[in-house]
Amino acid sequence: MSEEFRPDILGIFCRWCSYSAADLAGVSRMKMPPTTKVVRVMCSSRADPVFALGALLIGADGVLVAGCAPGDCHYKTGNYQTRRRYALVEKIFDTLGLDNRRLKLVWIPASEGAKVKRVVTAMTESLQEAGPNPTRAEMFI
Amino acid sequence: MKGINLKSDDANAAARGLLARGMEAGLWDAALVPARVPAGDSYAWLLLRDAAALERTTPLPPVMSVSGARALYKLARHGTARRVVAVLRPCEVRAAVELYKREQLPLDDIFLISMDCPGAVPLKDYVEDPEAGEELFGKMLAGVEEPGREICRSCDHFSHTASDLHLGTLGVPEGNVVVVPASAAGEAAAEKLGLGDAGPVAEWEAEVEKRNASRREAKEEAHRALREEAAGPERLAATLGRCIGCHGCRSVCPICFCRQCYFESEALKVPAANVFARAERKGAARLPADTFLFHLGRMAHISLSCVSCGACEDACPVQIPVAQLFGLVAANTQSLFDYEAGRDRAEAVPTTYYREEELAYLSEPYVEARAPEGVGADG
Repeated sequence: MSEEFRPDILGIFCRWCSYSAADLAGVSRMKMPPTTKVVRVMCSSRADPVFALGALLIGADGVLVAGCAPGDCHYKTGNYQTRRRYALVEKIFDTLGLDNRRLKLVWIPASEGAKVKRVVTAMTESLQEAGPNPTRAEMFI
Repeated sequence: MKGINLKSDDANAAARGLLARGMEAGLWDAALVPARVPAGDSYAWLLLRDAAALERTTPLPPVMSVSGARALYKLARHGTARRVVAVLRPCEVRAAVELYKREQLPLDDIFLISMDCPGAVPLKDYVEDPEAGEELFGKMLAGVEEPGREICRSCDHFSHTASDLHLGTLGVPEGNVVVVPASAAGEAAAEKLGLGDAGPVAEWEAEVEKRNASRREAKEEAHRALREEAAGPERLAATLGRCIGCHGCRSVCPICFCRQCYFESEALKVPAANVFARAERKGAARLPADTFLFHLGRMAHISLSCVSCGACEDACPVQIPVAQLFGLVAANTQSLFDYEAGRDRAEAVPTTYYREEELAYLSEPYVEARAPEGVGADG
């Protein structure tokens, strides 16, 4: 296990749903891979795609953005805006031949601690399959 | 489509004549037009109050030294309170329309005239050898030479745009220029100028469509070649690796309007501890930091409004094909929302609105499989 590649994932979680869900997962003592470092934001729409791009360029293996489910945003429309922007960044990734697996947008309602565990585990596994981010070795980027 | 025949030997003379008549008739108080600089090695935008000064102008210059949309923005970002007519290339019109849609450029008092564009000569080439530049542009106008700039060679928006009046020269018999009113304001102006009605302009439309078809093919081919050259982390790193971080591409970009650019902000002034951490992770850290992030981030911020005018590439001191990369990305991001930058003043920029039912692949159901039967995304 210790020899296995452990990806570094930046989590950007919204304060109202996803972060609460992560908190719930913690107090429920759910076990999940220790790969995701979570930054709390007031709304997933605060996560400018540039944050995700920046993290991936300096060598993070993945970025996980989580917000309230569509229709459930604390600010009514924030997550719809996030969805459009992330669709856009995915398109940029596709166009420039960058690895889409490293960027994920999910909706996690506050009561779904178990979903945090599922999402983090699944992303960790998919990144283990993808291997380390090539930007880690690119000192000129 | 209706059009009016204007007897004139070339597009520049036709545009000058039209401007003079409009200013005389009191349609416009001033005109924004390019003119050759005294040294003769470039062109600059002038705001003319006097029709007599029109003689010095070149409404369709061989180079795009500064995007007309940018010149117009500098003049009219808070409104002009006077009626201004601007003669722009089609890509400049589209950039102006994008600024308008982003509430940066009120167009109430602005009258836009566009012209069939044969492309532009690379700015550096022109500055180095203006006479060769003029000669090449003459051949481009005559249709015997491809546009000098790469980005112009795959441009399929070189004609009729969201302007008020369009001057068409393609496929029109020599000695004629077709004037096409393209908005209500354009119709009214044409009437006031007494241009008359010469009926449909089939020849011009056919030639534009014909050239558009071949340009669309060229664009597809250019995008395919560029992907081969630049897609993938290593090849992209090779393409952008020579960036010197001058941000010139951003400062000349007609649609980059933010007063405080994120990439100039404190947020990106990386502290030493951060640089050391990067160096530890990668073996070494590049300085100045984040030159890649600048380009990719700018694509995320403004590729939806990119009109592929090529100003960024003209400005790049190290010959990075910035405009072509942006053009490739913009074509894809805009098609994602079925959007085309500058196509229509009434079409909203995709990041300014949303639909509840869209992008299904990013919208898994609220309640997942664990829910009891009968309760789900629909229930």
